[in-house]
Amino acid sequence: MLAKGKAGPRHQDHPLWFLIPALAVLVVFFLVPTVFNFVYAFTDWSSFKSAINFAGFDNFTSLFTNGTLLNSLKVTLLYAVLVAIFQNAFGLGLALLLEKDTRVNRAVRVAFFVPVIMSALAVGYIFQALLKPDGALNGIIGWFTGSDVSIPWLGSTTWTIVVVAIVHAWKWMGLSMLIYLAGLKTISEDVLEAGRLDGAKRWTMFSAIRFPLLAPAVTFNVATALLGSMNGFDIVQATTEGGPGGTTELLNIYIFRTFGQGLFAQATTMSLILFLLVAILAFPVIRYLRKREDVL
Amino acid sequence: MKNRFRNALALAAAGAITLAGCSDPGADTGSDGPVSWPAQDADLTGTTLTIWAAQNSNTVPDSVIAGFEELTGAEVEVVTIPDPYEQGVQTKVATGDKPDLAFWQPTGSQLTALNASQNLQPLDDAPWLDAYKPELRDITGILDDTRYAALITTPAVEGVYYNKEVFAANGITATPTDWDSFVQTARDLKAAGVTPFHEMAADKWSTQWWVHVLLADAAADGLWDRVNANEEQFTDPTILGAIESYQALIDEGLFNEDIKTATFEDQGAALLAGDAAMVMQVNSYFGQLQSLADTEELNQKIGFFPISPSGNTGTFIPDQSNALVAFKTGDEQREAAARQLLSYWMGDGYQDFVNAQSTVSLQAGVETPADVPEALLSVSDSVGTSVGSMQAQAIANPDLYIYLADMIQGTKTPAEVAEATQAQFAELAKAQGAEGF
Repeated sequence: MLAKGKAGPRHQDHPLWFLIPALAVLVVFFLVPTVFNFVYAFTDWSSFKSAINFAGFDNFTSLFTNGTLLNSLKVTLLYAVLVAIFQNAFGLGLALLLEKDTRVNRAVRVAFFVPVIMSALAVGYIFQALLKPDGALNGIIGWFTGSDVSIPWLGSTTWTIVVVAIVHAWKWMGLSMLIYLAGLKTISEDVLEAGRLDGAKRWTMFSAIRFPLLAPAVTFNVATALLGSMNGFDIVQATTEGGPGGTTELLNIYIFRTFGQGLFAQATTMSLILFLLVAILAFPVIRYLRKREDVL
Repeated sequence: MKNRFRNALALAAAGAITLAGCSDPGADTGSDGPVSWPAQDADLTGTTLTIWAAQNSNTVPDSVIAGFEELTGAEVEVVTIPDPYEQGVQTKVATGDKPDLAFWQPTGSQLTALNASQNLQPLDDAPWLDAYKPELRDITGILDDTRYAALITTPAVEGVYYNKEVFAANGITATPTDWDSFVQTARDLKAAGVTPFHEMAADKWSTQWWVHVLLADAAADGLWDRVNANEEQFTDPTILGAIESYQALIDEGLFNEDIKTATFEDQGAALLAGDAAMVMQVNSYFGQLQSLADTEELNQKIGFFPISPSGNTGTFIPDQSNALVAFKTGDEQREAAARQLLSYWMGDGYQDFVNAQSTVSLQAGVETPADVPEALLSVSDSVGTSVGSMQAQAIANPDLYIYLADMIQGTKTPAEVAEATQAQFAELAKAQGAEGF
């Protein structure tokens, strides 16, 4: 900040060409693939022939006339909203429970953070095994109720998407917890004390003081959960593969299936559509959430 | 400074766009023309060959590899590509990664999916072709009059695996001879309190067998040629009718109660235990049964009969474990070595191979081992007269099985299944540049 207006000496210290190595990495690994993603969407690239020809908006028209894409988009949005709700509810709940810095709380926080660093596919397969009709969850319920339980948790065309969203939220709730914890720690003790002196009860303290002051953490958590889960793939692939009856077929699973069919250009088009969807959704969501921070 | 930064950024962007000029990384310029077939025992010391295999085929080549390595000094590595195998292989090949050999479904649609003329070695004058039993020689593996795949085991046949003990206990002495008697048998069994059919909609892939089998007569009558030319569609009465018949059998309650959640494993256990009397399946299902019971028990319990609307014609569907393809890798020496391995596999190594796999021999001069279960012999007997499935005869392989599983789950009607399949088929055919799409 101090260097403002003194570009000369600073420039000599940090010549622009120092940027080249970083820029090269950025271009090769980020910019070029992104550009490819745009370019291939307008071609007829497939596994069936080696020539790649320009195809205009052909892929877009055929995708939008096909109901499967719209269904996948709907499923993706619903999934993202569910994940955002569950992940934030779980994360905030945990953060409030484990707020005090006791030894036990520290250990428990670590335990809840472990799923975040686990492989998403492994998490998916573990839950798939747990949730099978003859899986461990039904076994436990059966032990308590004393009867034979065989609920197909992953077999309902209505509720499976909720179950899978909860699994996704379970995996990532540790991260939300961490960010909410950090948010809670930044709340000034003076404000809290003032609240207490004014006779605020626990719930009022939370709803009128602490939660509004958590706004930046909420912004970050909701935005990352919502937009991140729009790119979801691994957990759903491992648990349901898009089933039952296509009710959990996220756009990424559909892209994977299309790519596997050899229709590479169409798969690229879909990923471009997903990219645009995330971008279009990101702006209003983040703007709304940032607005909430204005009171701070 | 700001301007210079902008310039640099613009330069980088321009460079990136230039780089992004279209090229297919999977394209390869292999040399065509007649190839030599090295002797089976030619020395290959220092050569390493890679075979891609799926989780259910990665131990198939073991005996062949052991024999070949000892004979030639070559090293052969089997790399397991995780399921879904076909998608994984196609993706790798598309990005330029190729093995020397790979297990591959030898059907027209799947060879097209690998862009065979570009990526695969033609095997037209292979030395082992005359050794095949005549009716099997040209049954599959050929695309546009060029042979690209070496058939190593009996192609899978879609038909009915049944529990002999359940049939006997219910007084059924002869297997059904056409569709009507087949469905009647099922109704009799149901009336006797037995679950007639077992289907596994959670694992999806076997759902299509019912529709294929219902289309066997139409397939013999050129159905898939008409579909390939876009003269007939999945939404027309023939195929839609087959889908509706399948739905009607399910609605009638002839299938297992847990049809929506049942898996491949469940299906094997159900037939062996007699919980269901019949299963419409392919050879890999028998492999599943073999993992659950020994040959003696299987011979005693499990039988097989092919079925079609008008009789007992089977529907064949070669799968990935039935054949291998050899890739054009650009390295002539390794390409020749891959051909040599195939020559050995189907030549001096073949007897060991069928013995080790306990499988039916495709060659008149090689004995089928005595421990091959009876049901597999019935399957193999039906191959010669069977008709091709959708995968074997259609130019593209749409996800019919997924849509049928959706139908069983209740999220699609038969008409929607037909529409979705047709739409996908048309996309694939268009991408291939097929005429009429």
